[in-house]
Amino acid sequence: MIKFSNVSLIYPHSTTSVLENLNLEIAEGELVLVIGPTGSGKSSLLRLINGLVPHHTGGILAGDITVGGLSTREVKPGALAHLIGIVGQNPINGFVADTVEEELAFAMEALNLPNETMRKRVEESLDLMSLVPLRSRSIATLSGGEQQRVAIASALVMHPKVLVLDEPTSALDPIAAEEVLSILHRLVHDLSITIVIAEHKLERVIDFADRIVHITGDGVTTVGTAQEIMKSSPIAPPIVHLARALGLKDAGLSVRDMRRATQALRESTPISKPNTASVSAVPVIEIAKLTVAYGTKIALDSVTTTVFDNELVAVMGRNGSGKSSLLRSIAGVNEMQTGTVRVHSLLSKDLHSKLRRQTIGYIPQEPSDLLYAQSVEKECEQADKDNQIPPGTTYSVLAQLVPGISLHTHPRDLSEGQRLGLALSVVLSANPKVLILDEPTRGLDYEAKKSLTRILLEFASIFNRAVVIATHDVELVAELASRTIFLADGDIVADGPTIDVLLSSPAFAPQVAKVMSPQPWLRVRDVIAAIESKSP
Amino acid sequence: MKKIPLHPLTWWMWSCAVAISVARVDRPLFAGIAVGVVGLIVVAQRDDAPWGKSFNWTLKIALWILMVRTFIGVVIGVPIPGTTLFTLPRVPLPDWMPGIRIGGAVTLERLSSALSEGVTICAIIVIFGAAASLTSPHRLLRVLPIYVYEFGVTVVIATSVLPQLVTSVTRIRQAQRLRGQDTRGFASYRRVAIPLLEESLARSLDLAASMDSRGYGVSRRRSRYRPISWRIGDSAVVLSGLIVMGLS
Repeated sequence: MIKFSNVSLIYPHSTTSVLENLNLEIAEGELVLVIGPTGSGKSSLLRLINGLVPHHTGGILAGDITVGGLSTREVKPGALAHLIGIVGQNPINGFVADTVEEELAFAMEALNLPNETMRKRVEESLDLMSLVPLRSRSIATLSGGEQQRVAIASALVMHPKVLVLDEPTSALDPIAAEEVLSILHRLVHDLSITIVIAEHKLERVIDFADRIVHITGDGVTTVGTAQEIMKSSPIAPPIVHLARALGLKDAGLSVRDMRRATQALRESTPISKPNTASVSAVPVIEIAKLTVAYGTKIALDSVTTTVFDNELVAVMGRNGSGKSSLLRSIAGVNEMQTGTVRVHSLLSKDLHSKLRRQTIGYIPQEPSDLLYAQSVEKECEQADKDNQIPPGTTYSVLAQLVPGISLHTHPRDLSEGQRLGLALSVVLSANPKVLILDEPTRGLDYEAKKSLTRILLEFASIFNRAVVIATHDVELVAELASRTIFLADGDIVADGPTIDVLLSSPAFAPQVAKVMSPQPWLRVRDVIAAIESKSP
Repeated sequence: MKKIPLHPLTWWMWSCAVAISVARVDRPLFAGIAVGVVGLIVVAQRDDAPWGKSFNWTLKIALWILMVRTFIGVVIGVPIPGTTLFTLPRVPLPDWMPGIRIGGAVTLERLSSALSEGVTICAIIVIFGAAASLTSPHRLLRVLPIYVYEFGVTVVIATSVLPQLVTSVTRIRQAQRLRGQDTRGFASYRRVAIPLLEESLARSLDLAASMDSRGYGVSRRRSRYRPISWRIGDSAVVLSGLIVMGLS
């Protein structure tokens, strides 16, 4: 179906090539997963398939790519629209029409298909993606998962042979992600559509992948089955790390396989609850009867809770459950609220400039919202000046967080992880008493997530500070948080030690816990610790 | 039950008729009643869509225009004799500018004539604002002739991007306030503008890529998914507008 022959790709003004001499043949009905660190060229590889690279972005391409016998050298992306459906990283940016139905019809209108065909195919796709109740809704009012489904549906109306998806689940909560992935699985099996997908959260997709393309970033690509790649890949989901740590023969791709392989281990170890870290009794963030409403929609309904010193609190919940509203209220920028939020007994709403910086550090969903200077150097200088600290302090923080960033880089040219690091060091340079992060792991690879975890743990334990983090990433929560607050529809439905909250809900349980249930182990290191304590 | 939307031209035609009668009658009372009726219709009929708010915006703009016009009309211009309400200090002007006067006595007649002129103009603005509020710009463009339509797609995209821009600005300002930056004053515009520009650029690249890969511009002719037809309800609305115009 798709054939890469001797493909090399290099962007102008770049010294390293993205791809070098890639040969790859993807058969009909195959699901291929593309993995690699951020900025390694996963998106480029995906966009090569329908010719957006290089027709749209520039870049020098050698070799040839054919899809269904058509070479992307000879035709423009538009001419492949009937063959390839492509869903970008942020589907909202690619939407053209205002309602769901019109969006689905757009591509067909552009190709001048007859009206009856359009009606039939729109109905078909609406059914396939369970979008019927949303058909006349305005796209702007849809949730992230719904938008993702609309984007896939609007690709499917063209009856494509190939579907290309760039990180389709990165913005979705675990349940919505599962929905989208099971639909993809069905498309492959029922309609034999060929799917190429790039994803960071391997734990979500690896089970479905027929083959994996691993891009390292310096031009080298390895192609193989999931088993082959996972034997040695540095990028691997927790379940694979578990298999490696236990010295199993197979890489362990699914919870089912791993449970079979570890049955003896689970049963031979007595069930013991790992002791949770003790927290101080000094309240830092006190939330009392907080209600947030946007118009008639209530985002938070009379929420009361307290966060203590050196606590790492994860706020979880589905898309639209009120996580961001809660975080914004703690930071004191929600105007639509009643009730009080006190940080170190100061009302967070009333804080200004310097006192605000020194009390609350806040990283928004888009870390680049905080950045406005033309280079990393200017950004750091500004932070030094704002906080009246010796010049160079912010950069030295940055160098510790993410080593190897040049001072002259423009913030826009940084990778997602680096940009988060820069925003974080700007915020940390004020030495805030609490740190609040809103979904910091979108688009981060495992390496970047690991260093984020390290930084936050250090910040909480060494400086004895509180951290509140909203995220969909259960694996991160398992690694990081001492306490988890679970929100649903504006209410706190669960609040307690992470281990209790995560283990009580199967959808939000991390992979290791699913494998090891009923043993209360969340992380690979919990398992290892338990084994070691058993056999001294 | 699904609400069947009116033809996108219906409210515009009705607004034209009402606006013409407001201009013909030229009485503040009539204009005021027209605005009241239009306001009621908008509240009852508009959808929960971004353009639904355009009525509120035109109301605000109209009020501004009314205030500015009245102020200028009272302060500058030819005096109308009558009951003096109060007297402003007069700005001395050179002899070669006769007939123009800044400041001086403010009479009741001057004030009411300035007001009533303003009210009519503002009422017309608000009436068209209502039409914009009641009609999806996207559907409106779809009934336009095909050669306008191609251009129309561009406009549709621009209008759907605009609300996103507004939310981006709010989001960025909020984030910067949290960084402890002052969000007022001239320097703050630069701080908001840079992230905003970057985001809009990234977004428009994404949009262009998406349209390109969905076959936009491949075929010279475009078909229409949902042809829009004229119904009895449309005729009734337009007829009511015409009757008002005929009676005025």
